Amino acid sequence: MLKDITFGQYIERHSPIHKMDPRAKLMLLILMIVFLFLSHGFAGLSLFVILLFAGIALSKIPLKMFLRNLKAIWIILVFTAVINLFYGSGGVLLVSFWKIHIYSEGVKRAVFMALRIMLLIMLSSLLTYTTTPNDLTDGIESLLSPLRFVGLKNAVHTLAMMMTIALRFIPTLVEETEKIMNAQKARGADLEDGKLLDRIRALIPILIPLLISSIRRAYELAEAMECRCYNGGEGRVRMKRLHYGKVDLFAAITCVFVCVGIILANYYINF
Amino acid sequence: MAKIIEVENLTYAYGDGSAFVHDAISDLSFSIEKGEILGIIGHTGSGKSTLVQQLNGLLKPTSGRVLFDGKDIWENPKEIRKVRFQIGLVFQYPEYQLFEETVFADIAFGPKNMGLSGDELTERVKEICSVIGIPESYFETSPFDLSGGEKRRVAIAGVMAMRPQVLILDEPIAGLDPKGRRDVVNMVAEYRKAYDATVLIISHNMEDMAMLADKLLVLNDGKLLMYDETRNVFSKPEVLREAGLNVPIVTRVFEELKAKGYDVPTDIFTVDEAVTYLSNRKAGGSRA
Repeated sequence: MLKDITFGQYIERHSPIHKMDPRAKLMLLILMIVFLFLSHGFAGLSLFVILLFAGIALSKIPLKMFLRNLKAIWIILVFTAVINLFYGSGGVLLVSFWKIHIYSEGVKRAVFMALRIMLLIMLSSLLTYTTTPNDLTDGIESLLSPLRFVGLKNAVHTLAMMMTIALRFIPTLVEETEKIMNAQKARGADLEDGKLLDRIRALIPILIPLLISSIRRAYELAEAMECRCYNGGEGRVRMKRLHYGKVDLFAAITCVFVCVGIILANYYINF
Repeated sequence: MAKIIEVENLTYAYGDGSAFVHDAISDLSFSIEKGEILGIIGHTGSGKSTLVQQLNGLLKPTSGRVLFDGKDIWENPKEIRKVRFQIGLVFQYPEYQLFEETVFADIAFGPKNMGLSGDELTERVKEICSVIGIPESYFETSPFDLSGGEKRRVAIAGVMAMRPQVLILDEPIAGLDPKGRRDVVNMVAEYRKAYDATVLIISHNMEDMAMLADKLLVLNDGKLLMYDETRNVFSKPEVLREAGLNVPIVTRVFEELKAKGYDVPTDIFTVDEAVTYLSNRKAGGSRA
């Protein structure tokens, strides 16, 4: 169950997408998400589908890995789709019983919303699958570095370090959670059955040991960092410097084309 | 003696059907007699922990069966929790699973899950604590205020309180000081004596195994390499070394002595045996 969470898990491949600068990937992803939400219709979304599949093909990561991330949010997908199903009131009346009326416009809207969330998740996965967590935080740190001009000198570095550490500990904590769950199951804890309240109560024997060991780990890590003379971002140099390359330029141009395409689609194609 | 656990062609594959599948355990078959102390040894990643999790139904075998008292433990998957009460598993560093406010409540967690309550529950906890020597004065203290060795003992008591017929301990004395080790070894012995239990111990430490186990089961890459009396296993150092293991240090000392030309046996496996042998020899030598 816990192993299904693949967010923030880097998959090593040699591909142009992997070679891109994390800053470029981050900025382009944000740009794409903004335009994803600006897009009015299926014509616009189809551009994103093409972009996404081109990206997946280039990344050399199997499509299955992307679909797996969707599995984790299927409830949200279904929920959004169902809610929207009853919303639109244009087009042909398809189903009508009691107080429920479903119009063709509603169906279109439901599919549109679900597709948009799927694209959002899969585009984001393209970033997390092809970028190591460390590169990602380096990128974020570098992108946020202008904040030092507004008096947040150490904050950016601290924030980036916190994110690096948080990401680094996700797999450790997942493993730890599994261990504790097994240990409590061996003591007869029933985690699968029971009413909602019982299930919530059944989490206590897992959460408390997890919390305690997280605090313990935090102390140990802080001590280990101090032993290596860590004192914040001041004067630290990087082993790996970030450089924009040709791939980034090419990706940026592609994304700009998509953006132009969306604007045109929004104005001229009403579907 | 009666067989309490039988393992038939047990195979367990990790992975989700994708490219990462590999057998953690392949085609294991063996049986455990009631009342014995069995040691399970093998290098890191040899499948020891996977194996014991199959024995109490935390993992379901990919193929093969585990029989407890002659019955397949997965015969009725809904009843698998009952198997876990009969075959108690103490994980590595069990002190990290403590969570209750008081020692008493934590030890009572297992029996409570079995459905005990009220006086019966209190009696159960008191009984197990008196058997294994946890004083009642600890009951109202927080488990987090105890020392490392005491925490470990309380955590193990939490599994023993379910009164399992088979007790499995994964590296029970790793990371403890000598007193802590002695205490844990003693409590396991007391438990075994009081309830006529079968005990399985996983360890990397050959010295501990020589001291504790009647029989040894040696795993190598998920396969059964040897399953024999402890003495017989330790008398095949070549096989053990091939599996990334070794004989106890005392035995190695005697091997070295023999290689240097001294006339000594190499079937000395514990420090006590060595002391007895050497003092006998000294006594005999001075007489001659």
